[in-house]
Amino acid sequence: MSAEPEPEPAADPAEEGGAPPEMPPAAPGPSGGRRLNLRDWRVTATAAAVVVAVTAGVVAITATGHHGGDRADPAASATPAYTGLPHTAIDVSPSTCGKGWGANGKPHTGTQVFDLHNSGASATEVYLTDPKTGKFYAEVEGLAPGTVREMPVELGSGTYAFECQQEDTDSVTGPTVTVPGNVPQGPASRPVTVHDLIPPTLDYQKWIRARMTELSADTGRLKKDIDGGDLAAARRDWLAGHLVYERMGAAYDTFGDADGVINGTVQLDVDPAHAAGFTGFHAIEYGLWHGRSAASLRGQAATLDNAARKLQKDWATQQMDPANMGLRAHEIIENSEQFELTARTDYGSGTNLATAAANIDGSREILDELAPLLKDRDPGLARLQATLDDAQAYLRTFDKGGTWTPVGKLTRAQREKVDAYFGDMLEQLAPVAAICDVRRTT
Amino acid sequence: MTSDTPGREHHGDLGRRGFLRGAAVGVGAVGAVAGGATALTAATASASAPAAPKAAAAPFHGAHQAGITQPVQSASVTVSFDVTAADRRELTELLHTLTERARFLTTGGTPPTVGITDSPSDSGTLGPQVPADGLTATVGVGASLFDGRYGLADRKPLRLTTMPEFPDDDLQPAWCHGDLSLQLSAPHTDTVLHALRDIARHTRGGLQVRWRMDGFSSPSRPSGTPRNHLGFKDGTANPDVADPAVANRLLWAGGGGEPAWTAGGSYQVVRLIRMLVEFWDRVSITEQERMFGRNRDTGAPLDGVHEFDTPKFAQDPMGDVIPLDSHIRMANPRTAATDDSRILRRAYNYDRGMDSNGNLDMGLVFVCYQQDVERQFAAVQKRLAGEPLVDYVAPFGGGYFFALPGVKDRSDWYGSALLA
Repeated sequence: MSAEPEPEPAADPAEEGGAPPEMPPAAPGPSGGRRLNLRDWRVTATAAAVVVAVTAGVVAITATGHHGGDRADPAASATPAYTGLPHTAIDVSPSTCGKGWGANGKPHTGTQVFDLHNSGASATEVYLTDPKTGKFYAEVEGLAPGTVREMPVELGSGTYAFECQQEDTDSVTGPTVTVPGNVPQGPASRPVTVHDLIPPTLDYQKWIRARMTELSADTGRLKKDIDGGDLAAARRDWLAGHLVYERMGAAYDTFGDADGVINGTVQLDVDPAHAAGFTGFHAIEYGLWHGRSAASLRGQAATLDNAARKLQKDWATQQMDPANMGLRAHEIIENSEQFELTARTDYGSGTNLATAAANIDGSREILDELAPLLKDRDPGLARLQATLDDAQAYLRTFDKGGTWTPVGKLTRAQREKVDAYFGDMLEQLAPVAAICDVRRTT
Repeated sequence: MTSDTPGREHHGDLGRRGFLRGAAVGVGAVGAVAGGATALTAATASASAPAAPKAAAAPFHGAHQAGITQPVQSASVTVSFDVTAADRRELTELLHTLTERARFLTTGGTPPTVGITDSPSDSGTLGPQVPADGLTATVGVGASLFDGRYGLADRKPLRLTTMPEFPDDDLQPAWCHGDLSLQLSAPHTDTVLHALRDIARHTRGGLQVRWRMDGFSSPSRPSGTPRNHLGFKDGTANPDVADPAVANRLLWAGGGGEPAWTAGGSYQVVRLIRMLVEFWDRVSITEQERMFGRNRDTGAPLDGVHEFDTPKFAQDPMGDVIPLDSHIRMANPRTAATDDSRILRRAYNYDRGMDSNGNLDMGLVFVCYQQDVERQFAAVQKRLAGEPLVDYVAPFGGGYFFALPGVKDRSDWYGSALLA
């Protein structure tokens, strides 16, 4: 990632002005793509297999944290994390799922803690459900064998049952327990399964395919502008193409190294004018807005156009992980706040607010795909969608005929309003990710 | 809003809230939040004490905000917000939310559970259950809140203005003024930061931080009032506001032509004062002490022996012992005519890294409360104009605010009388 080894002189097309280079190296630019790559977004096997693998990974980590499941049962000596609240010991092995509630005292409303003890042989997921509605009220994932974990809940009046999903076995639902009284129940949602998420993911992939067609048309136009020496047209077409790419926010990780080639940035201590391997929209942006000649940008324009076409071609064989749809809806805006509202990715065009508006398109597209799942799971969905619209409408007031107000030129009141919109959007997007977290319900 | 369902008094309002976190959680959860808090007050009290020393909860409900008269605590954060709520209805919702968060945070409790519907409701930085830990939250409003946005122009407290620039000030606009002030204080930094994070999370759509300064108060060294970065005790001569007669004369606003809603509130002045500590350290002790009028070691006035000795200016008319231009003499001449200009100081030290010239960036978050900001702080400030100390300090930010009347009970909220 550093400047070592010494770059080849030919690796800096911005300064060369000669013939377009070959396709750039597969490695990303000096700092690669700017997007955080916290959660791998690509799948090569079937989606279901990946989900199983992910779950197993979680279990393994948890088991490690508990130093394995073969030690003496620590239930007796566990120090409760929650004090001053009623505790009820619950057994959650497949044969005893839910045992202990109702038998050792009267089920009651209010804040309380279930001490879940996995006396089974394998790790298990535990859910507190309402068997009548199928809604989940609480969950504990990856409870290692032989361990106890506390599940704090606020119970309203109603019917409940524990559901135990041990690895590689069918789900077991314990006895139904009625909590008497007239207290409203707490927040709950029906779980989302990977099967629920496959149709929206496929639709989304289709939408991305259409964006890729747009993208390669735009990069072709940009290349033509630069080849023809029309820099004014190039700046206009650069923005159009970049925004198309930014609208595909949820797919970046799927693009892999291509994202670094198409939309990479350089580290802050690297001069963009002399950054080896710095290619793509931002490299061209730097040239277009720093008085570089059209001739000096020809190589970069070809590189970008080639990468966009290759991306379009490769997309046919890519699969997106359905498990990440909900996460990406909020991660797009998190990235937008982190990199656009700070102008970290500005290489001279001052169009971060345009990018942020395009990112909202990307988040909205995912939400639209997820809407059938969310409409009876997230009571805030309509409000969230309205907030996205309002925020985007406000951002668009900073577009004066294709020239956008740079982030640094916002007045204080404007800046605060933008920040308030993004903060509000992000807080509302967090539940989407939580609700769309894949839960096994078999 | 019925009193027999504590914790669920705002259901109707919350149902239509549109821009604050928590609105989406749903009716049951909201009830559960406050209900949990109620249950927990008793629960925490009887729980086995954790390792960290625990401060008692300051009473949240009362005629006045608890943080005003409470002595300074070890940790504080002073924040000025601009209100981004769109209209008066949203401002009302915002103040409800702020009240609910402050009530929960200062009372302590088990954070509400969200099941699979959201990310955790609490950051967890104070552990699974939130201790009250002596946290106080003090909320004030600035003059700009009374502009046209919320239809409050005719309700502005009589003396509330934008903080003027005094002759020795060097104000930086980015560090001045604001629609709403919030000071959080507690014995521990984690408690203060937890509260700030919680409040910010719940109000992102309606409040944006304009400026923020963290502060701390030192222990007694070796005794008496805590010292500031100049090495002198700061706040020795505070009026005794535990005496209701004194408080009613110097501290609490209301009456005298003030809007009725202000009763129980107090004018709050925040001044961010840079202290040039390197320069100060190169000044002889005699000069330092003559600038303050006090002995650095004991805090005693230069004509006295103990910190709380009263200086006898009348017996020293030429300033032979305590110079006429010393800080304590100019600030508080202790005459009948100046007695009603005394203020209640609640200053914190700040420390925020380095300045561009390589000097330590340290100073004072000067906070004071009074009945009438013109008669008190502004008058004192005018008397202090040109005092020798100004070479070593540089006020660069802060603002005038009006600390709201207290939240009286579970159904009350910050600014209820203002927005009634």
